Amino acid sequence: MTIQAQMKESSNGASDPSDLTPLCKRLVEMSHDPDTAFNMPASDLQPMRLAAAQELFKLRREQIPALRKRAEEAGIDRIESFDDLVPLLFAHTIYKSYPQELIDKGRWKMMLKWLQTLSAKDVSKVDVEGVKDVDDFIERLWEAGHAVLATSGSSGKVSFLNHTMQDRARKTRHLKHTMGWPFTKATSDRPVFWFGPMKGRNSAVEMGISNEENWGSPGCTYALDERPLLISEVSETAAMRKKLADGTALPDEIDAFEQKQKAKAEASADELLRLIDKLLDMRHQPMFVFALWAQHLAIRDRARERGIPDGDFHLETVLFPAGGIKGLNMPADYREQVTAFYGPVIQIGVYGMTEMAQLMPRCEAKRYHAPPGLILMALDATGQRVLGPKDAVDGKITGRAGFLDLMYEGRWGGLITGDKITMDVAGPCPCGRPGPTVLDTISRFAQTGEEDHIGCAGTIDAYVRGGLPA
Amino acid sequence: MNSVTTPGLASTPLSVGNIIKGRYIEGGAEVYGPPHAQFATSELVLNDLVWKRSEPGPAFETPLAEIMDVLAETGKWLAKDPDGLVAESLEKAARTSPLPYAVLKRSFALLPAQFDRAQLEYQVEREFGGADILDGWRQMPTPPSGRNHRVRAYPPRIVHIIAGNAPLAAALTIVWAALTKGVHLLKLPSNDLFTATMLIRAIASVAPGHPLAQSFSTAYWRGGDTKVESALFRPQYFDKIAAWGGDTTLRNAKNYIGPGFELVAFDPKTSISMIGREAFESDAVLTKVADLAATDATLIEQQACASSRYQFVEGSTEEVDRYCAKLIEKMGVERPFCTPEGRPLPTDMREEVEGLRGMDDFYRVWGDYNGSGVVIRSEDPVGFHPDGRVVNVVAVPNLADALQYVTLATQTVGVYPPARKAELRNALACAGVQRVVDIGNAGGVERGLPHDGFYPLQRFVRWVNDEGGEVS
Repeated sequence: MTIQAQMKESSNGASDPSDLTPLCKRLVEMSHDPDTAFNMPASDLQPMRLAAAQELFKLRREQIPALRKRAEEAGIDRIESFDDLVPLLFAHTIYKSYPQELIDKGRWKMMLKWLQTLSAKDVSKVDVEGVKDVDDFIERLWEAGHAVLATSGSSGKVSFLNHTMQDRARKTRHLKHTMGWPFTKATSDRPVFWFGPMKGRNSAVEMGISNEENWGSPGCTYALDERPLLISEVSETAAMRKKLADGTALPDEIDAFEQKQKAKAEASADELLRLIDKLLDMRHQPMFVFALWAQHLAIRDRARERGIPDGDFHLETVLFPAGGIKGLNMPADYREQVTAFYGPVIQIGVYGMTEMAQLMPRCEAKRYHAPPGLILMALDATGQRVLGPKDAVDGKITGRAGFLDLMYEGRWGGLITGDKITMDVAGPCPCGRPGPTVLDTISRFAQTGEEDHIGCAGTIDAYVRGGLPA
Repeated sequence: MNSVTTPGLASTPLSVGNIIKGRYIEGGAEVYGPPHAQFATSELVLNDLVWKRSEPGPAFETPLAEIMDVLAETGKWLAKDPDGLVAESLEKAARTSPLPYAVLKRSFALLPAQFDRAQLEYQVEREFGGADILDGWRQMPTPPSGRNHRVRAYPPRIVHIIAGNAPLAAALTIVWAALTKGVHLLKLPSNDLFTATMLIRAIASVAPGHPLAQSFSTAYWRGGDTKVESALFRPQYFDKIAAWGGDTTLRNAKNYIGPGFELVAFDPKTSISMIGREAFESDAVLTKVADLAATDATLIEQQACASSRYQFVEGSTEEVDRYCAKLIEKMGVERPFCTPEGRPLPTDMREEVEGLRGMDDFYRVWGDYNGSGVVIRSEDPVGFHPDGRVVNVVAVPNLADALQYVTLATQTVGVYPPARKAELRNALACAGVQRVVDIGNAGGVERGLPHDGFYPLQRFVRWVNDEGGEVS
C-alpha cells in the first residue's frame, strides 16, 4: 500500500477553476475579509443565502443522484424558503450507507456505484483493477482527483465523504481567514504541534494539513502519529469484533490481536510523551497547538512533573483545544484547568464537524458566528421543521442543528446533525456584531428521560468481551 | 389517548412508593429522573432491605398450596380492582413508561392471568415434578451406591434487577419468586416504577399479614449506584442476583459475583423471523404471513427481546418486495401489544434509515418516521440494530443461508411454514437460539417451559441435600 505525498494545491492563488456557482462563490469568499463578513446583518445575508442555495440546488440536483431522489420524493423543485431545504438535508449515516459486504468482499466497482450516488463528479471511470484493500481503493480515487475522506465512527463502519481538490483548497483558505478570528490572523511562521495524525485520508488529518499550511513555518510541524492513519486497520478491528461475536476467532488469534493492541497503545503513549516534551521545550516561542482536552491535561501533568509553572507560554501562542470527553474520566472544570495552565495565550474555538467545510469561529463573547457561506438552521427535535422567531423563548431557540455549506462542489453540503444548539435570534451578540449566534452550550441531541431503563432486548455487542477499543 | 404521557404534565415529581418487607411506604423523599420526568421515592434505608441469614424468611415453611391460594386470589383481586389500585398504578405508570398508553393498558389487563392457578401448578409440575420438593425433603430413588438421600429445593434469597419494558416482567418475577418462597428484593427500573409494587400491595390486600407479602421488598435506586449496590450485593444477604437484559445491568452485576453470590442472567436478546418460499403460494397466504410476521415485529412496540427485527425471506427480490409492501401495511394495525400508530422513530434510528434512502441499488425503504413502521429490504443484514418498529427484510435463496446471521444473541426465531422448523431447529440451537416458534407467536412463552434458555424456578431455588441415613 502506498500513501502518496500530500498534495499541496498550486491553485491556492488567484485563479480558481472551481465549479462554484457565482452566488455561492461570492458568499464563500466574503469570509476572506472576516471583519466585514461577520459584521453583516442577517437581513442582508439571508436573502443572498437563499438565492445561492437555489442556484446551487439547481445544479447539484442534476449531478448528485441522492439529492435528486430526495427532491423528487419531497416534491421540491426550487428553494423558495429555508423550509424547502429541510427534506434535502442528509443524515451523516448516508455517507456510510453502503453494504459492508462490498468492502469485505472487495466489490470496488459497486462501491464506486454507491459513491456516485453522493458525488457531483463522475467517479465511474476510476480504475479499481487490482485494488488490494480499502486504503488502496481510497488512493485510486485520490489519484483520479476525487479527494475522498474516510472517517470511522465507534461502530467501525467507515464513512466516505467525497470532495474535490478545489474544495480542499477552498477549505484551507477559509480556515486561514477565520480560524484565528477575531483574535489573530494566521501567518505561516509558527511551529505547529498537532496532537493527532497528519497522514492519511481522514478529515482530522485534513484539518491538520490545512492548519500546517496556514500557521506553520516550513519544516516545523510536530504531529502525533507519523504513520498514515489506515482505514484497513480500523476495519481490521471491526473484523475482529465480528469474528469475536460470531465465535470464529480462536484463542491464539484473540491473544495475538490483544498483544498488538497493547503494543500499539504503549507505543502511542511513548510517542505522546515525546511530543509533549518537545512542546514544553519550545514553550517560549509562539506556537500553534492543537490537542484534545484530555491531551492538554496530560501536557499540564507532564509540565508539573518537569517543574514548569502555570502560564509559562509565549503569549502569542495559539491554542486550539477540541474534542469530546465522552467516556473519559475528566474533571468537571477541565476547560478552566487547561486555561489556567497555559495562561493568557490566544485560545481559539470553532464549531463544526467533518461534514462541514466552513467552520464557525467563536468570538470574544464565546459565541459562534456563521460565515456568510454557511446556512445554519435550528430544527425541531425530529428534524422536520425549521424553528423560527415564534419558537423563541427569551429570544433563544434550542433545536437540532442543520446546515447547508455552500462551499462544496464535490458533494451536497446539506446535513442534519445530532447536535443540540441554542441560537440567540433576538439581537446582536454581546461582542457587538450582529446575530444570530450560537451559544457555547452545544451538546448531543440524546433521547432524554431514558436513564436507567432496563429492557430485555439487546445485541451481540453484549456478548463480546475484552481487547477491543470502543 | 397518549396525553397522560405528555412531558409537560409531569412537572411535579411523581411519587414512587417502595415496599419494605410487605409494608408499603409512600414516596417523596428522594428525587430522580430528568427535569421533565422526575419522580420521588421514599428514603432508602439499607438496613431495611436485607434479611438476616440467621433467620428463615417469612414464607420458608409456608406450604406451596397456601401460597398458590394467595396468588390465585390475587389474580382475581387484580381483575376486580376493588380499591382502584390497579387503575391508579396504570395512570402513574403511563407517565414514566415508554410504551403507548393503550399498550400499557392492555398489558395491565393481562396481569390477572399471570396468577392463574392452573398455570402455576403446571409450571411447578414441569420444573419439579410436584410441590413436595419445595415444601420439604424429597426422597431420591435409591442410587447405584445403595445409599439414601433426600433433596429440597430450598427457598432462596434473591435480589432481582427486573426489566421495565413490559409490565409482564414484574409479574413473572413476583410469581416465580412466590413459588420458590424465599425472600426477594426487587430493584425497580425507571421505565416501570409501579407494577411490581402494585402487585405486592395486591398480595398484601388479599392476605393481610400473610408471610408471602412479607417476603418481598421493592425499591428504586439508580442502577449502578455503588453506594447501594456494594452494600447490598453480598452473599451474607443474598444467594443470587437475577438480572434482566441490558448490557450495562449485566456488566454491572458482574462486579459483585463471587463465591456464594451467583448471577441468574436473563440475557439481552434479539429475535428474527424466517419465512419460506411457501409464503408466496398465493396472495392470501402472503397477506396472512405478513400479518403474523408484523405481530412479531411490533410486539411491545419492538421493545422486547422476542420482537422480530430481521426477517429472512426465501424469494426473489421482486417477491420479497411484494412481501415488504404487505408487511409495512400490516405493521400499522392495532394489536394487543402495539398501537397502529406507534411512536415517532428515535433519532438514532431515523438517522440510520435516512442514510439508506435513495440508495436504490442496495436498499428499498417502506414507511416513514412517524412510528407505525419502517421496512428496509437489503441483500445482507443492515449494520445497525433495528429498533422502534424497524424491520430489515433480507432476501435469501434458502432459509439455511440465513443461519450465518444467527448468533448467541438470537433468542426467538419465528418460522413459516411451521413444518420447516424441524429442518432448522438443530442448526438454530447450535448457533445459540433459545426458542423456535410458529411465526406470529414470538410473544408469550408458555409457563412451565424454559424461559431465556433455562427453567427459572430451578435456577432460583437453592438445591440442598440430606445424604445418607435411614429411609424416612
